[in-house]
Amino acid sequence: MGVGPSTKETSLHHFRDPLIEILENDPGIDLMGVLVFGSPEGNAEKIRCSRTAAVVAECARPDGVIVETDGWGNLDVDFVNCVNEIGERGIPVAGLNWSGTAGKFVVESPYLDNVVDFNKNPEGIESNIVGENNYTEEDVRECLKRLKIAMAKKERGIK
Amino acid sequence: MADIELRRLVIKAFHMTDVEMGDENKITTDGKMTINNDCLPALLDKYKEVIEKIDVEIIRPGDHDRFTNTIMDIIPISVKVLGKCGEGITHTITGVYVMPTGVDVDGEQAHEFGSSEGNLKDMLYLNRAGTPGDDDFIISFNITFKKGMGQERYAVIDAYRMVEEWMNMFREQLRAFSGSKCTEKHEYYDRIREGQKKVLVIKEMIAHGAMLDTWIFPDQPSGVEGGKSLIDYGSMPVMLTPNEFRDGAIKAMN
Repeated sequence: MGVGPSTKETSLHHFRDPLIEILENDPGIDLMGVLVFGSPEGNAEKIRCSRTAAVVAECARPDGVIVETDGWGNLDVDFVNCVNEIGERGIPVAGLNWSGTAGKFVVESPYLDNVVDFNKNPEGIESNIVGENNYTEEDVRECLKRLKIAMAKKERGIK
Repeated sequence: MADIELRRLVIKAFHMTDVEMGDENKITTDGKMTINNDCLPALLDKYKEVIEKIDVEIIRPGDHDRFTNTIMDIIPISVKVLGKCGEGITHTITGVYVMPTGVDVDGEQAHEFGSSEGNLKDMLYLNRAGTPGDDDFIISFNITFKKGMGQERYAVIDAYRMVEEWMNMFREQLRAFSGSKCTEKHEYYDRIREGQKKVLVIKEMIAHGAMLDTWIFPDQPSGVEGGKSLIDYGSMPVMLTPNEFRDGAIKAMN
């Protein structure tokens, strides 16, 4: 699971993940697969693994990519790097990430505009309540909407 | 253009409406589950190097005004009946989920970054994809680790192996259930939607160490045995089909 109790995804979450469900049921989407990579502790490894995920994406020639993580803090390093590497490769990208007020990105990228913050806690904090700050169907729909706009813009040559 | 169907996964759910303590560890297709704790001493004996005590209790829907140690995971009981991960037939139990919780003999909670110990009604947000619903039973599988063992990676892995071993008593019965008696049947296809927008999902999962770990490809859905930590894969990307992902290929390990 991820970092804090309220953001981490349980085994049950993976078993009935709304992200997979919604993408698969959208007749306009050809869901290619799910690429899983680990978030290691060391910085050099983080950059290597998240970059390789972007390389796999480039080689697979998708029209768009959704990047998600259930962690924050040091996991943002890999997350943002992955989003950035995909963005730099000219592939439309959207994301799902918990930020709230306590977990704002610790690194920056110009490609973070389409990342949905799935915070649910009223104060935006890691509340330690299991499941509270997990993404829901609504978050996935918002993320997919942003990705569809990004893909349409690319198709029409709009920046 | 037509869809090209690559492979099919059928998940059949068997809903439990009644969960109580009884003479044996048993599930039936008419929705009754009984739990018997006589099996626990033998189970504990196998893991006594790292674990001091196990308490298995049934938490009825809504009966959440009670203390809980930190919640390590919420696990569905599922089993492969036919085929490999991501294809064939999987049976799963709905209406009841297993919730391992952990603490050591000195009261140190088994967590790494934030603990969810406290009143269960305050510390578990219901009705999320990853948490039980209002009407679900919870099996509280409380693990008391030996001193300091709640922070040791091998001990935590052992604890999950123990939980799985306990779940296997029900998996064996679930595998033998007649599919026609299921309460829900879902058919999922890995498919190519020709001409539609090709979208790749990338999931970054924790791979730090004890209590911050993710395993993939266990032998049984949401299981441990046969699986490997992402750490052992050097955290490098691994590609799964949508059906593999939804067939319990990922096990949260904290």
